[in-house]
Amino acid sequence: MVRNIVVLGGNSHPALLDSVCNILGMPACNRILTKFSSGESRCEIQDSVRGKDVYIIQTGSGGNGSKLNDHFMDLCIMISACKTGSARRVTAVLPCFPYSRQPDLPYKKSGAPLFKAGSESGKKDYTFDSVPATPAPGVPRSAGFVNGTDITNRLNKTSLTNGTGSMSPVKQTNGENYFNGNGISQSVASPMPVPGNHGSYTTHDYENVSHVVAFQAKPGYKQWVAQAGTLVANLLTCAGADHVITMDLHDPQVQGFFDVPVDNLYGRPLLKRYIQSHIPNYKDAVIISPDAGGAKRATAIADGMGIEFALIHKVISLFITDRQNASMMLVGNVADRVCILIDDLADTGNTITRAAKLLKKEGATKIYALLTHGVFSGDAINRIKASAIDKLVVTNSVPQGEHKALLGPKLDVLDIAPIFGEAIRRVHHGESISVLFNYD
Amino acid sequence: MSAEMANEIKLISGRSHPELSEKVAKRLGIEVARTISLNYSNQETSFTVGESVRDEDVFIVQSTITGDVNEGLMELLIMISACRTASARRITAVIPNFPYARQDKKDKSRAPISARLVANMLQTAGANHIVTVDLHASQIQGFFSVPVDNLYAEPSFLRYIRENFMAEDCVIVSPDAGGAKRATSIADHLNTAFALIHKERPRPNVVGRMVLVGSVEDKVAILVDDMADTCGTLVKAAAVLKENGAKSVLALVTHGILSGNAIETLNGSVLSALVVTNTVPLGDKVQRCPKLRVIDISPTIAEAIRRTHNGESVSYLFNHAPV
Repeated sequence: MVRNIVVLGGNSHPALLDSVCNILGMPACNRILTKFSSGESRCEIQDSVRGKDVYIIQTGSGGNGSKLNDHFMDLCIMISACKTGSARRVTAVLPCFPYSRQPDLPYKKSGAPLFKAGSESGKKDYTFDSVPATPAPGVPRSAGFVNGTDITNRLNKTSLTNGTGSMSPVKQTNGENYFNGNGISQSVASPMPVPGNHGSYTTHDYENVSHVVAFQAKPGYKQWVAQAGTLVANLLTCAGADHVITMDLHDPQVQGFFDVPVDNLYGRPLLKRYIQSHIPNYKDAVIISPDAGGAKRATAIADGMGIEFALIHKVISLFITDRQNASMMLVGNVADRVCILIDDLADTGNTITRAAKLLKKEGATKIYALLTHGVFSGDAINRIKASAIDKLVVTNSVPQGEHKALLGPKLDVLDIAPIFGEAIRRVHHGESISVLFNYD
Repeated sequence: MSAEMANEIKLISGRSHPELSEKVAKRLGIEVARTISLNYSNQETSFTVGESVRDEDVFIVQSTITGDVNEGLMELLIMISACRTASARRITAVIPNFPYARQDKKDKSRAPISARLVANMLQTAGANHIVTVDLHASQIQGFFSVPVDNLYAEPSFLRYIRENFMAEDCVIVSPDAGGAKRATSIADHLNTAFALIHKERPRPNVVGRMVLVGSVEDKVAILVDDMADTCGTLVKAAAVLKENGAKSVLALVTHGILSGNAIETLNGSVLSALVVTNTVPLGDKVQRCPKLRVIDISPTIAEAIRRTHNGESVSYLFNHAPV
């Protein structure tokens, strides 16, 4: 039993709230958090917070009937309500930090962005290679593996698809129509998407492809993409957050965006423990980083456990400027070994599924993918289902119920509630939490 | 680039109300800046500016989409922040319908003052100036430490009434005590009678009993309010007015939020017309509701932008609606 502490939850992750409250041995704060019919959030905190130490758990993902931005606004409103309700200190607990990845629009050498068309047809039919190619005449369906066989074609003949529609997720004809069509909208602003009516599209292929393609920066101007990370940090502090607890920030630099203390917990100990207890002969396995950016994360685990390490590197050649279809190169040896892919976040699942494909081709016997945040948006689940990944391990920083139901035994979920429960307890009592960064 | 071109108006449109932005741009004789807003598949909002805003006078038009306010608000914040980091000289957020304007006071213990939170957020994002229309409570201006120009739809309404009715046939009615000031101001300008409906409101979005104060017999009763949300109040008020002998009842409302079953409620009501401005995107509601009339507010907004940019007084617009 912890005194003088209030744990308040948003709508994004009720299961985590319950487990954290269980661990702390106290009930969650009563509150009403819904929406008015006008779309404005309605928040009423029903228990007193005066002089209390308030922890608000809200993860940065869409779901549970609301969108990511709704959850974020709810969080700000709750923080502000607690502040005006004379809370002594308000801590925002964001297991998965929203807007932590800086946007990475693929750029051509000329500075113009490379947008890709979404797969308009066969949205239910995926192969693990279902990266929609840039719709250009004559672009091969899988430009990625320049030196490998195109598995897509073979997979088309297997029973991966559900029997209806076209077999290939990216039809060449789509691309053709695209460029020949005159009906591309020239308007710069499209109406907001209808709530809850998000079609399937992948991260870098946007909802309304026609207006994205029509969008051109003024000549001579390299377009400016909003970087929302700093803004989100400032909005949280502006709402009144005195402290932020999060986990495995994509860029640790995000910590520096805040003027208030940020505790960036690590999911690494959980992943390590999983490797030790669930992967037989893990000492002979190879830890793989699916891209150069994650090398540091992966080496930290490899070094800590004395396991070999390899890295996948995307070769962006002069001829293939398309980053998603860039050819991948493995640095290291994985032949006849068990591979453990380590990354902090999987969103569309492109990186890990493509990495897995490459590893299989290089002779890996079994592929595990260990991630902290399994966002799995768009068509990620279907892509992972069809991929060469044998076992996917994620934490429940984002609700995994749906994903678990879809992926079944392929997905293992690690519980982060004990880490967050302990962090909240320690922060509340003013104890050091650095032990949480390193315990094994 | 010549010197006089160095600081011009850059009109940026959010996704909530592109029609209004287009109208404002047309009125100003400029083009809406090339920008694009999207949602990634993980639902994060992305915004890209396709032309230079360095040292320009940026006006960002973003209204609220009924049912999806937070999405538009986050988009606006991201747009402001992007322009700020892209070295805009001044950023004015043009928010015809201010979101969370009704959550402006701590009416219960631990109730959030979300309007103030929105005000703080806008300033944190980097807004230097706010232009809005008919704030629910003008005190919201006090939540800001940057200038707020609160424009009025009143001049447009006055013109509408003068063009369509004989002033002596009308009674201006406020559907609640809070809107009495707004209604009396219109009644004074037209030199007509005024009445008030007193209501009890047990829960939000639910309307209680209503009592008419004043006489509307054999007159055209004109209900005046700042927003029509579920329209429960308006429709009940209209029924009360009809019962009290009004010849016909219409309503003049600035913000047609029209959420929930508003359209069905309106279609089944005794209201002869609901006149709203286009501060909020109406979508197909005009087709679905034959009683809905729309007054274009874009001339007022465009003129406010022009005057703000040129450093002229905006107060002329408080009493006059540009044609």
